[in-house]
Amino acid sequence: MKFFMLILKNLRRNMVRSLLTSAGIMVLVFVITLIWSILGFLDMATSEKAANFKGIVTEKWSIPSQLPFSYASTLENGAAREESDVKPIDSMTWQFFIGSVDKTNIGYSTFIFAFCMEPSKLLTMMDELDSLQPGPRATLDKAIKAMESNRQGIIVGQKRLAAIEKKVGDKIKVFGINYRDIELECEIVGTFPPGRYDNNTCINRDYLNASLDAFKAAKGRPHPLAEKTLNLVWVKVPTKDAFSKMSSQIDNSPMFAAPPVKIETASSGVSNFLAAYADLLMILRYLLAPAIIITLTVVISNAISISVRERRKEMAVLKVIGFQPNQIIFLVLGEAILLGVMAGAISSIGTYYFVNRVIGGIPFQIAFFSSFPVLDGALWWGAAIGFITSFAGSILPALSTRSIKVVDVFSKVA
Amino acid sequence: MTAKPIVRVSHVSRYFKRGSERVNVLNDLDLNVPEGQFLALMGPSGSGKTTLLNLIAGLDTPSEGEIWVGDRCVSTMNESQLARWRNEHVGFVFQFYHLLPVLSAYENVELPLLLLPLSAKKRREQAMTALELVGLKDRNSHLPSQLSGGQQQRVGIARAIVTDPTLIVADEPTGDLDAKSAHEILDLLGTLQRSLNKTILMVTHDLRAARRADRIQHLDKGRLVDQPDESLYEAG
Amino acid sequence: MDDKKKSVVLEALTDFITFVSPYFFYFFSLENAWRLIPVCFGFFGLIMLIVYCAKIPINYNIRNLKVRYRTTLLTALAFILVTAVLTGLMGFINGLKRLAQATGNPSNVIVLSQGSTDEGISNLAFENMGDIAQQEGVQRKNDEPLCSRESYLVLSLPIAEPVPGSPTRRLLQVRGLFDPVASAEVHEFGLISGGEWFSEAGVRPNANPNKAPLVEVVLGQGIAKQLAGDRSQADKEKARNKEQLEVGDTIPLDTRELVVTGIMKTEGTTFDSEVWAKQSVIGPLLGKTNFTTLVLRATDPEQAQKLEDFFTGKDKDFKYEKSQVNAFTETNYYKSQSQTSIQLLIGTILVATVMGFGGVMGVMNTMFAAISQRVKDIGMLRLLGFSRWRILVSFLTESLLIALLGGLIGCVLGYLCNGLQATSIIGGGAGPGGKAVVFRVVVDWGVLGIGLTISMLMGFVGGLIPAMSAMRFKPLESLRG
Repeated sequence: MKFFMLILKNLRRNMVRSLLTSAGIMVLVFVITLIWSILGFLDMATSEKAANFKGIVTEKWSIPSQLPFSYASTLENGAAREESDVKPIDSMTWQFFIGSVDKTNIGYSTFIFAFCMEPSKLLTMMDELDSLQPGPRATLDKAIKAMESNRQGIIVGQKRLAAIEKKVGDKIKVFGINYRDIELECEIVGTFPPGRYDNNTCINRDYLNASLDAFKAAKGRPHPLAEKTLNLVWVKVPTKDAFSKMSSQIDNSPMFAAPPVKIETASSGVSNFLAAYADLLMILRYLLAPAIIITLTVVISNAISISVRERRKEMAVLKVIGFQPNQIIFLVLGEAILLGVMAGAISSIGTYYFVNRVIGGIPFQIAFFSSFPVLDGALWWGAAIGFITSFAGSILPALSTRSIKVVDVFSKVA
Repeated sequence: MTAKPIVRVSHVSRYFKRGSERVNVLNDLDLNVPEGQFLALMGPSGSGKTTLLNLIAGLDTPSEGEIWVGDRCVSTMNESQLARWRNEHVGFVFQFYHLLPVLSAYENVELPLLLLPLSAKKRREQAMTALELVGLKDRNSHLPSQLSGGQQQRVGIARAIVTDPTLIVADEPTGDLDAKSAHEILDLLGTLQRSLNKTILMVTHDLRAARRADRIQHLDKGRLVDQPDESLYEAG
Repeated sequence: MDDKKKSVVLEALTDFITFVSPYFFYFFSLENAWRLIPVCFGFFGLIMLIVYCAKIPINYNIRNLKVRYRTTLLTALAFILVTAVLTGLMGFINGLKRLAQATGNPSNVIVLSQGSTDEGISNLAFENMGDIAQQEGVQRKNDEPLCSRESYLVLSLPIAEPVPGSPTRRLLQVRGLFDPVASAEVHEFGLISGGEWFSEAGVRPNANPNKAPLVEVVLGQGIAKQLAGDRSQADKEKARNKEQLEVGDTIPLDTRELVVTGIMKTEGTTFDSEVWAKQSVIGPLLGKTNFTTLVLRATDPEQAQKLEDFFTGKDKDFKYEKSQVNAFTETNYYKSQSQTSIQLLIGTILVATVMGFGGVMGVMNTMFAAISQRVKDIGMLRLLGFSRWRILVSFLTESLLIALLGGLIGCVLGYLCNGLQATSIIGGGAGPGGKAVVFRVVVDWGVLGIGLTISMLMGFVGGLIPAMSAMRFKPLESLRG
């Protein structure tokens, strides 16, 4: 600690160099923070949980999965027939409704991608929404109550709302794209907390199903997709054993002959979907991130070796007045690490607050993820990257100070 | 001066290998310096005076022979022991002052104290006392670049005495100063020697500077000589 | 600077940007970027010419680079890394882009259901398809319109022995065809010799009489290679060809088996990742009896464009009214599938900018240090009569040399990625849909041109500011040091 002031003053000696180096560190750490957040988020989504994990039931072969809605009630029970069979703790059905608020112009400013489901399941089964803070939870709960009392009520993500230039309270007409000739007249009753569901919409499943019934009544024939409205069923089970038991219940059930169904853990479902992105993610993880870290090390190493070379004489003086070689090494390392840790921490913590609070996530489209939060890990990543890269970059220049000879101070007379 | 010797150099030789050739810089040299003496070492370039100073100050180790300072044998210590010993027992004054440009006068003086187990308060007391002794107490917050050459050398001297060392070694302390400043610095060294009873070893080219010392020792070709050729020092 | 001078400078700057920006976009599009290579060398040559004519002591700078070789190497290493990573990434995107461009015949028109921009969510009523194909402009053969009725679907196929932690299933893109012969004619894909299109029935008897008949399929080359890797270890050992499925090999699908009857010559197109089968067989098997896509062969590319306008109603006086559909010429359709590569391109530009910034910081440090070590030398040169701009050029040359060297080595490293096989998804953006594709990384002259230019730009920006500071030294003061 006694040397802290000395280190700090040495950093201030060449402000231009210190600023250039920290600016370099900051931008590079910024990119790594983004990359690691995206990778970390996908890793979390694909890592198997030990308990309370969610399973997805879908059509066995075909993608997108399209099941008859008559499967819903059996699947919500985990296809349990016997008293001893496992039943899910909770479940949720998803019916996708892809639509547009303008029949003739389909594009970013009119597009609606909606989950039709039981509104109450938003708070118990949807990732992230099931673990909201009390404040946002109460707000969302209010909107859910409104959806339950008015089945035409919908909840729209904030970005989507901005894109279609509507606000809560507005009434909109959504023209079906996948459900041809189905038009839903909706009232926007609320919005999702910012983040993952920014571009999504939630519609009450009763309203979609009633609209399909109305189509049949009016046209005298069922809608072409009438038997294919159920896309996904989510089930939550307490343990791995329960999951495999339910898996065999579903496989052996006579209910699901045409089309057949399969159940997989949510994480394995996501990872199968991400398989197509495997090379891209590999490039990010094993090429880009390391290349940036090496560049960072090189930049730091360059800066530190320059300043060591400029100060050999001073270091010799320090040795003469009694500084141990290790203490000199410590001074050099300390200088580099202080700079690295400070700049790294400022960058990644800044990124955390800026991206999460101001931008509301990293806008990057991979599969069905469109926005990624900067993970909590970012609060320490920057400091850690700064520490490691500055250590790696300065260890050789620091060790080179050992070759500084004390006698040089006297003998080199200008 | 009949005090007991504080520096004892006995049968010291120092040679360097240059390729296969052996270059003798110091040859079987003996020297005693009594406590409290101000000794000036003179000699032509290449006479070995700086090498001798380095050996006594613990910056280098002899090839043969022993060097004792106080009750410690300097010639057998390893590098790390030497560094600690220098910190506690030797004060250095350099021709080009060698102050750290980023630190204030006070912080430069405090620097050697950082290596000792002292409280911040104690360090401050000692450093301010040293600055007071050289007459720069009021300039303690100035950076070296804001001080004149003579003032910088005073800070250098304050840094040399701040640990209350056994020995002060000075390498051409006036070599880079004008006559007036040089005179003042030599006055200061004399005062410190008398009032604090410090032993001072000074290497110099300058005969006028050397004459301020208690004793002048001449070196030539790695040996002490009694009758120097004074024409060698005309440059000073 | 007074206001008048300022406004002149501003005006000049605006003029410059307006003048330069079209060239910027022209050069930085991948097709034209190869021109950047002569531009880079030309620029460097120009600087060298100035150096030569102005008798700038360039040897002095080169000596300095050699003396400080460690710093030179470290700085060059930063340039190498940035350039190598950049060219590799651009090669990836270039490969995707090439794939989307190479796929599709300009005379073909893809018809999808109304509002669909992706085959995955299209749903065409069979009864409408006949009339659509009868429209004018569609090529006829034996008095029948030349068209391909297709059902595109994605199959999720389990991988035999998945490596723990990696995917357990492969998404397989299957195209069910109404009439394989017509489809082959529309898409113009031949089979590699030894193969044949599926029979009229679309199935063939199983060697084991107790089992259901085998479903006949034809594969793209890329997917044939990938499926070969998905087989179980035992199957791989038995296989005739470990690298690729061959005619006669089978693929298990639940209780049924698919048998390969042919391999299509589809390399370099998105069809390379597809499995084709007879819709009347594969449709009912997978519960997909509807059609998603109708591909029409127009008499020529001009007619194809007319048909697109006709079906989409772009032409107000002449539009199709019997049913509402969406249509694209095949070239336009696959161009619209480049959304993913555009997004990747934006990401790469961001990363490149940031890494470039880091590199610039590095080279600036180096050059500032090089200059501060040589303040006295610069003072001496100035006293000898070297003008300011000569000093500037001399230091700028030093950083440009490092940049050129690092950039060239980086390009060579990036070029090593050329031809690597990669997988990705192409598609129109949000939601489900998109096609998993197999393609090759293409590091061509365009990509190398961009890599080299960015390296040179880094060297120029990073060298200019320190060089300008060197230029400002006053000779006598710097000599006093």
